[in-house]
Amino acid sequence: MNPRLLVRARGMNPRLLSLSRSVGFAVVLLVILLAVNLILSPARFTPGSWGALVGLAAPLIGAAIASTPVILAGRGGIDISVGPLMGFVNAVVIQVLFLKAGISSPLLLVPAALLIGALVGAANGFLATVVRIQPIVATLGTYLILTGVTLTILPAPIGPAPAWLKALAGPWSILPLAVMFLVWWLVRRLPYYDQLMAVGSDDRAAYTAGVDVTRVRFIAYVIAGIFGGCAGLMLTALIGSADPNIGPTYTLIAIAAVALGGVSLAGGRGGVAGAAIGAIDIFLLQSVLTTFNVSTFVLQIAYGAILVLAVMLTALQERLAMRAR
Amino acid sequence: MADRSALTVRDLVIAPGASAVTQTIASGEIVGLAGLDGHGQELFLKMLAGLAPPLSGSIESAVPGSSHKITGFRGAVASGIAYLPRDRRANGIFPTQSVLDNFAVSTLSRDTRFGLISPAARKARYDAYREKLSIVAPRPDAPITTLSGGNQQKVLLARALALEPAILLLNDPTRGVDVATRHVLYDVFRGLAADGMGLVILSSEIEEILLLCRRVLVFRENEVAAEISGEAMNTDSVITAMFGRAA
Repeated sequence: MNPRLLVRARGMNPRLLSLSRSVGFAVVLLVILLAVNLILSPARFTPGSWGALVGLAAPLIGAAIASTPVILAGRGGIDISVGPLMGFVNAVVIQVLFLKAGISSPLLLVPAALLIGALVGAANGFLATVVRIQPIVATLGTYLILTGVTLTILPAPIGPAPAWLKALAGPWSILPLAVMFLVWWLVRRLPYYDQLMAVGSDDRAAYTAGVDVTRVRFIAYVIAGIFGGCAGLMLTALIGSADPNIGPTYTLIAIAAVALGGVSLAGGRGGVAGAAIGAIDIFLLQSVLTTFNVSTFVLQIAYGAILVLAVMLTALQERLAMRAR
Repeated sequence: MADRSALTVRDLVIAPGASAVTQTIASGEIVGLAGLDGHGQELFLKMLAGLAPPLSGSIESAVPGSSHKITGFRGAVASGIAYLPRDRRANGIFPTQSVLDNFAVSTLSRDTRFGLISPAARKARYDAYREKLSIVAPRPDAPITTLSGGNQQKVLLARALALEPAILLLNDPTRGVDVATRHVLYDVFRGLAADGMGLVILSSEIEEILLLCRRVLVFRENEVAAEISGEAMNTDSVITAMFGRAA
């Protein structure tokens, strides 16, 4: 699942063990949910339609990946503006750039989306790390601002999306996901990654070790923003139009996915692979419950219950592991 | 290299109303800092490390070729000063990270090949220090919390030494470390001094200072109450100075 793991897996190396331990529950849940889905709705889960399923899950996976770096940076770091950022990118790309300005080239729209993400991320980072507003409050502000701005430039859903973007909806949605994973894999090989994990693990120790804590956290917000911009494009591909109301719904589910995937909300533990598995879990759970034709309210209850259960089990696993040591 | 100064402290005031400290730490010298807890010796050490701003006065490092005023922590590191913090659990280790990551965090850029980290280069660098400090860590990629306290401390010392500092500031380096490891550390400290590094050791144990240092600064009420060196340095004289009675 994670290339670095394969590279580093000499026998059962302890890091692999500890990683499999932390995402272990999410993987087990993944297998169970996949089996249940296959039994309940074999037609929907035939290998032929897997591409379409990936397309449906892609924006949530993207949102979960985008939520991860800031959480890894620790000390209450969280970016709840990822969802509205996706909606904002969606609205700007379709309404402002495509329909009004007539720009349709991916060579312009993709950089524009990523740039918007980076700028929003930088604003979040500035508020949370330089001004030092608590991250949840800072990004709540961004959440509200982005939601409002999105509704201002796009009061009602509008379409269509450029053809190339719509083509990224089905099996090809694997492409932006693969790019995100590749980028993260590269980040993991940078000195920055070690600093990020050090800061997330213990920021005072990181400071005494000469790590520029503020800079590291700031960059985490920018990375989150860029990934969020990418997730916004995936959302646009999936709905093939612009809708001001969908984006914000991703925020909390994405954070649930991250927690489910074994990423510690205290920072310094976990990774993007776990977050992605958590997101797939939530997608499959959604799929199971939809087969039963339950209302969306029940869906919310299920998300909440699974999340609490998952975090409890992860904590339990960790405690058992500590005792085994 | 006998008396080449590595760190010069001029008129440093630690706390309001305290008299100024002027000191020179030569390379190849081990200077001890003693005093009852909270009498300014820790603050003094942190000021040398650039972690605490002095009320007045200046600290200058004279690395061969250039001299720098120490105004901040990063500047101190850049001018060849390394600091080993006191509270290992709160200020030192990264409990979720591996031994290797804990070792390399201060010197990450030295392992890069074309901008990317080379695990092999890092491992090679770590192995050199593991040998030197005789770190007992079966697996360098296991979490650092799997090591004993003494070995964790050695990894932190390796982290500081990896910066190749001219001056090493040690804040109670053997606290919570077993006796055998202590003696390994003492030998390492002596070896470093013999190689020309200047060491400043704050210790809560007088025996340790007597064993390692030829000169001790005894702090009382945020000023240097006594500077004792050579023959005059013994348990009685240090304790007397700590409690502020005339020697």
